[in-house]
Amino acid sequence: MFHQTHTRCIVFAISMLGLALYVILGGFFAGEIVVKIAVLAIIAISIDVVAGFGGMVSLCHGAIMGLSAYTYGVLTVKFGVPALPASIAAIGVAATFGTMIGWVTGRTSGIFFIMATLAFGQMAYTLIFKSRWLGGDDGMGGLPRFDASDFGLDMNNTVTFAFYAIAGIVVCYAAAGCVLRSAFGRTLAGIHTNEARMKAFGVNTILHRARAMGFSSLLSGVAGIIAAQHTQYISPELLFWTVSGEALIVVILGGLGTLTGPVIGAMAFVLLKHQISSLTDYWHIVIGLLLILIVVSGGRGLFGQYEHWRSTHTQKTAKTNYA
Amino acid sequence: MDAGFWVLQFLNALQFSMLLFLLSIGLTVIFGLLHFVNLAHGALYMMGAYIAVSTANQTGSYWAAFVLAPLGVTLVGAILYFMLIDRLRTANPMNQVLVTFGLIFVFLDLVRITWGDIALGLEVPPSLEGSSYLLGVHYPTYRLFIIFVGTMVMACLWLVLARTQIGAMIRASVENGAMASAVGINVSRLFFGAFCVGCALAGLAGVIAAPIFSATTGMGISILIPALVVVVIGGLGSLEGAIVGSLIVGFIETIGAVIFPSVAAVSSYLLLAAILILRPKGLIPARG
Repeated sequence: MFHQTHTRCIVFAISMLGLALYVILGGFFAGEIVVKIAVLAIIAISIDVVAGFGGMVSLCHGAIMGLSAYTYGVLTVKFGVPALPASIAAIGVAATFGTMIGWVTGRTSGIFFIMATLAFGQMAYTLIFKSRWLGGDDGMGGLPRFDASDFGLDMNNTVTFAFYAIAGIVVCYAAAGCVLRSAFGRTLAGIHTNEARMKAFGVNTILHRARAMGFSSLLSGVAGIIAAQHTQYISPELLFWTVSGEALIVVILGGLGTLTGPVIGAMAFVLLKHQISSLTDYWHIVIGLLLILIVVSGGRGLFGQYEHWRSTHTQKTAKTNYA
Repeated sequence: MDAGFWVLQFLNALQFSMLLFLLSIGLTVIFGLLHFVNLAHGALYMMGAYIAVSTANQTGSYWAAFVLAPLGVTLVGAILYFMLIDRLRTANPMNQVLVTFGLIFVFLDLVRITWGDIALGLEVPPSLEGSSYLLGVHYPTYRLFIIFVGTMVMACLWLVLARTQIGAMIRASVENGAMASAVGINVSRLFFGAFCVGCALAGLAGVIAAPIFSATTGMGISILIPALVVVVIGGLGSLEGAIVGSLIVGFIETIGAVIFPSVAAVSSYLLLAAILILRPKGLIPARG
């Protein structure tokens, strides 16, 4: 069950302030990094909603993000739809696709759910990859960003765009937090803990799973819009299953089922990747070994480990106080 | 399109099915016995191809590579088994997926460090060069050799599983590991043995694929998904399932690409999704 503890509030606020400061002080380069962090953080939040709280480990969130990016691209570039309605439609498509996957796979669990999501994600990837109309593996360019000149903002400015991306993280985090704290979120956690008992209560578990996938895909859709507007170019690579795998790494790196953890994980992952790739071409091996180490050592992740350490620490002090 | 064309396509499909079979049998046995999801199985296939290229360059003989590469891959697999896989057997599927996903990254860079980023070719052995005349078409002898090797492995595995005591022990352990252990079968040693055979077959697939597709860093990831599709379609842990599954996927991807190019690419995923929803245990499930 999700609790927005004080620690989580403080850590999240500090990291958002840190990102904002980094953009202000670091200029163009920092802005690019922060947008990458934002996209990854939002997908990681959306995966954490289903995997951490619903026990549904999905390997199709990359594809859902890519689907949203492509819907946005098609509507704006091919049909000349303005950016705002196009992004709403794109997020809608992502949420619908996610709900559908959740509905169809509602009866599967564990490895079968992982495989089923992998299949649906790869299906979307292959369809887009093979489609000449969508540019095939060349992708599609010339995607517009939002026009915020009415508010005196220039979205083509890196700093402005980075702040827009940070706002994206905050909105998605808040939305995920609210949903997980609602009755629906508690039911989802209940299904994760003991599905048979929730069924006995009369809960329609498949419906709840489908809704959870739908909501989570909605968040991934937001990530897709930011990613598409950032590079203003989209390619099928966005939908490949390893993108989802990488996002799952980020969730584990930060701490599964903590919601704050995935944000920390995204920051750590992007910065680490950047640092390592400036030192060596072989950053994959470092990330791979790190991931193995984290999982084998208990799988709590950076933030999860911190919370665990804090809770055992406070318990100890409480005990000594009683004695 | 005459009959010869279809014979060619049929043989191509059969050859691709055999490669898929060699890979998926390892995946399915590891899954069925150990309940372990090994995403790094494709990486072992890639290692097989690279080790084969190096061995062939050193010794000048394809046949040395044919023997040594599977052994080398088995050794790599055994190290993995004792370092990671044995510990993760009881872990939840997500942790298994994550660790083996991490292994894909590690192997990818190990190969890039050792062999570089360029595709490496392997010469077809002189005895298998050229083409043979079969069913009214000329077909590359080496590809016939792949079909032959795949069929032989199928036959051997079937004989071992269906007709020997070890086979009976494996079947018993797939069906009910705890009970098999209670009647005195050393289940963990059996698991380790089966795991090694799976690794060796992935290595074998790597060697025989290398002369056709070359050894590339992307080969492990690109074959992994079709192999997983085969395993799930056929039924986890089932030999017959792996045979039927690899034939279905091999034929869909090859023949389908000729008849309906646009549909073929997604049809194996559609089939996978349909199987997962309608028959989650696969077409021919291992009993249990």
